[in-house]
Amino acid sequence: MAAIALRGIVKRFGDLVAVDGVDLELEGGLIVGLIGENGAGKSTLANIAFGALAPDEGTVERNGVVGLVHQHFQLVERLSVWENVLLGREPRKGWRLDVAAARARVRELGERYGLHVDPDAIVETLPIGLKQRVELLRELEREPAILLLDEPTAVLAPGEIESFFTTIVTLAKRGVAILVVTHKLAEVIAYTSRVNVMRAGKIVARYVTAQTTTAELARAMVGGEIPPLTQRTVLPRQVLPVVHVQGLQANTESDSIDGVDLVVQAGEILGIAGVEGNGQTALADALAGLVPYEGTIRFRDEDLGPALGPRGRIVRGMQIIPQDRQHEALVLDWTVTENAILGRERNREFRRGPQIDRAAARAFAQTIVERFDVRPPRVDARVRDLSGGNQQKIVVGRVLAGEPTFVLAYQPTRGIDVGAAALVQSRLIEARNAGTAILLISFGLDEIFALADRVVVLYRGKIAGEFGRDAFDRARIGALMAGAS
Amino acid sequence: MLVAGVNPVDGFSALLIGALGNVPETAETLVQTTSLLFPALGIALAFRAGLFNIGAEGQLLIGGLLAGVIGERFIAPGFIAIPLLLLAGAVGGGVWGALAGWLRSRFSANEVIATLMLNYVAIQVAAYAITGPLKSAAGEGNETGELPASSWLPTILPDTRLTIALVLAVALALFLRWMLRSTVAGYQLRAVGDAPRAAQRAGIDLAKMRFWTMTFSGAIAGFGGATIVLGVLHRFNLALSPGYGFIGIAVALVGELDPIWVTVAAFVFGILQNGAIGMQAAADVPRDVVTAIEGLIILVLAGRRIITRSGAD
Amino acid sequence: MFSFLWLTLIKSAPLVYAALGGVLSERSGVLNIGLEGMIAIGAFSGVSISFATGSALLGAIGGVASGALLGAILGIAATRFRVEQIVAGTGINLIALGGAAYGLVIVFGQPGASKEVNALGRTGEVVMVCLALALAGLLHVFLYRTRAGLHVRACGENPRAADVAGIDPLRVRFWATTAGGALAALGGVFLAMAELDLYSDGMSAGRGFIALAAIIFGRWNPLGAAAAALFFGAFEALQFTLQRTGIPVEFMQALPYLAALVALAGFAGRTRAPAADGIPYTRVE
Repeated sequence: MAAIALRGIVKRFGDLVAVDGVDLELEGGLIVGLIGENGAGKSTLANIAFGALAPDEGTVERNGVVGLVHQHFQLVERLSVWENVLLGREPRKGWRLDVAAARARVRELGERYGLHVDPDAIVETLPIGLKQRVELLRELEREPAILLLDEPTAVLAPGEIESFFTTIVTLAKRGVAILVVTHKLAEVIAYTSRVNVMRAGKIVARYVTAQTTTAELARAMVGGEIPPLTQRTVLPRQVLPVVHVQGLQANTESDSIDGVDLVVQAGEILGIAGVEGNGQTALADALAGLVPYEGTIRFRDEDLGPALGPRGRIVRGMQIIPQDRQHEALVLDWTVTENAILGRERNREFRRGPQIDRAAARAFAQTIVERFDVRPPRVDARVRDLSGGNQQKIVVGRVLAGEPTFVLAYQPTRGIDVGAAALVQSRLIEARNAGTAILLISFGLDEIFALADRVVVLYRGKIAGEFGRDAFDRARIGALMAGAS
Repeated sequence: MLVAGVNPVDGFSALLIGALGNVPETAETLVQTTSLLFPALGIALAFRAGLFNIGAEGQLLIGGLLAGVIGERFIAPGFIAIPLLLLAGAVGGGVWGALAGWLRSRFSANEVIATLMLNYVAIQVAAYAITGPLKSAAGEGNETGELPASSWLPTILPDTRLTIALVLAVALALFLRWMLRSTVAGYQLRAVGDAPRAAQRAGIDLAKMRFWTMTFSGAIAGFGGATIVLGVLHRFNLALSPGYGFIGIAVALVGELDPIWVTVAAFVFGILQNGAIGMQAAADVPRDVVTAIEGLIILVLAGRRIITRSGAD
Repeated sequence: MFSFLWLTLIKSAPLVYAALGGVLSERSGVLNIGLEGMIAIGAFSGVSISFATGSALLGAIGGVASGALLGAILGIAATRFRVEQIVAGTGINLIALGGAAYGLVIVFGQPGASKEVNALGRTGEVVMVCLALALAGLLHVFLYRTRAGLHVRACGENPRAADVAGIDPLRVRFWATTAGGALAALGGVFLAMAELDLYSDGMSAGRGFIALAAIIFGRWNPLGAAAAALFFGAFEALQFTLQRTGIPVEFMQALPYLAALVALAGFAGRTRAPAADGIPYTRVE
């Protein structure tokens, strides 16, 4: 008897059909993988299985408690570990909360599963790996028969991934039915016994893991071959680097850097590898002029200084592709045209006196739409109505138009479909070939390996190693990302 | 209205007749419209930048105070005095708005509470000014003496209180619409309101924009206060506003923050305001019911996602 | 000195009640700008019901109920209709103030102020002051030591996480806001019936807004907010003590508001409201 059975599940969000007729069964003791691209519908399906979303059609039969470890943690940051783990099921002594019992329970769970955390620690002070532990403990507290894991290793270093899966395998041995939702094919091959491939809301292929390969899975996920990227040309090395960072220290809410030195040359892509939360945001925001910093950032031999804000950097030829296009790059309710000139609205080419030159703005937007194959190709469309991939193309298009001297690309292909990602990556290489210096921050090693001329690893706010393209060593880089020395 | 034992139909028809029944009443309705339109435009502008200007009442008062106090003492031909006094009103309101803007930009202080507090401080400042150091010889209690006739705003319709202030208000509305839609400054203001983090990364100085928007918003309200002093009352009186600054919020929302529709909304509310008196006289319904109705309108409209929160910076 | 302390307590009591009401609703995630209106309605209803029944106690109960009603309206607006809470609060203020002014004519036949009614007297005054301070402590214990209080705090910080844990954020917010309204109205009852024995137009005089400053100053914490309210109340008490000096009356009267402004400038940037404060929550279905 299946632990959980989903039959004929359909789920729509307005016009979008996120899940389009899916059948899925899980058995106790088995680890099953569900893979697919961003936007394929995996998270939605997981939420339906969990019960957070109701399907529009189809049935869900559950034989036991279901737990879901979310991709974006559902933790109350300002509360303590035990308050989060036991939220909604808190032990009581009369009308008071029984804090001692709560602490004991957290410790007991920690012992049983090898997931130790201080019950009284406030969640927002914990590093991200421990936060995930709390998220997992919360689900395990309910003693689930079925455990769903949504992109569980996105924030873990390679070593942590291993110990995470050790816990999962143990759980499976105890009879829990486990579903791992991920886009990381290597993990699926290593740890699951069955794999389902989802594409555009449907399950398009099912495999027994032992009988398939990552290449086959990749093809099933994408539904075809990925177009090759632009060729990189060999460029003469300049004497003066475009960007020269020395001793940089900065703090943001998410992470901090503590003495970073690096150099980016014209016509080079420098990749920053690392697990999320090790200083990438601090580095990006310091370079963008959004946070105060110590140390120096020299741009073409000019010391920028922390007082020079974003405008000063833009004026000098620095452009940024931010991590979060919806909140940091685009005004969703505006048109493509209006978004295209954001950051350039003061330039003479788009101005006539105090007024905006609408015709010039539209022409500019049109060139971006054409060069980046934005669909639908209408400059009057509201950006909110475009898909993630097309939104990102507008951001990248706007950044690369005008041939900037330096581009900081922070997760430039996050959450977009393969076709759009390939186009963005090709355009970045073309910019590099034309002499732009590019700093690429990405949490996906594949992307870094595809694009970068050099790689440095960022770990806990410091540079942990540097590799030239001919010396890319996946295992070594992975180890450095996790803190090996 | 039902609570008062009055037939709502009678009540409303008394309201409409009171507001539009004849030419003098319609003129008075337009006077109310004008007095509402200025603060409403200022509030709408602030809302577009993601700022909640709940202090238009105080800004209006300070603007009127300056216009009244200076106007009483400064005697000059109309074409000099009037623009000067109106400017004084704008400066007064602008300074009052700037205070809140400064608190927001420099200290990240919540401008809702700051502007609210400043309303009450404004009342005290005005009261102190006209009973103390700036007490006029002719004025008594809570008002200044009358302004010289040369400083009065010219009327459009003889024997009414309707002055060119209406024309100025509508012109301002048109100007603001053009500014928001077509100019670089308007583009940046809207960006700050609609997507502050993206605007900041694009090089727009959030603190500066917010400060100047609050200042400009206050200046518009202050200008409005000055028009009441110069055109309607011909003196400054502590009770010059029956809550225009608060009702202006409703007007701005009904007009969906678009200057042209805000003008239309101001007319509707002008009917409510003027009609209330007629309603009280004819149908025995106290005029405060109108205040409550206006509050109800605000409450009902609060659901429309017109204003985006600008969030913490 | 003692009389100054007592005066401070009297002047602070309405602020304490209102601030506590605001803390409760904001901790659940609903920003309550309508405290001013809730004070006014509590004061007006209390006086009216006392007038109608002759009983001050019934008046007080009625006042609290009216505040709860306004709180419930805000609660529904915030949860079911997911409105912009600052705007809704402003609307509630106008409804309450206009309604009360209108009500004066209906109930008492005269605008501006009510007639004198049976009030709570000296004993009632003392009881209510003590009650205010006790409630501050009780609310603190509720929020930090009980299950329900933990749920309230979770809803104010991350309603989605609470939802996932089986708590209904919309229900929690509704009840927190309703109770908050009742508390704030108690402040109005004190104002009209403990300190005085009548209601007059505009008697709330911005106290609801000062209470908001007290909440920020007190970092959204019942004891802190009560302490801040006492601090602001002291400024009001100072008015009377300083009246005999040459300082202008108006400056004295502006003191509480100025103090609140200074507090905003000094402290607002460094503290954080509950993370989901003011942001409507949508249950994804």
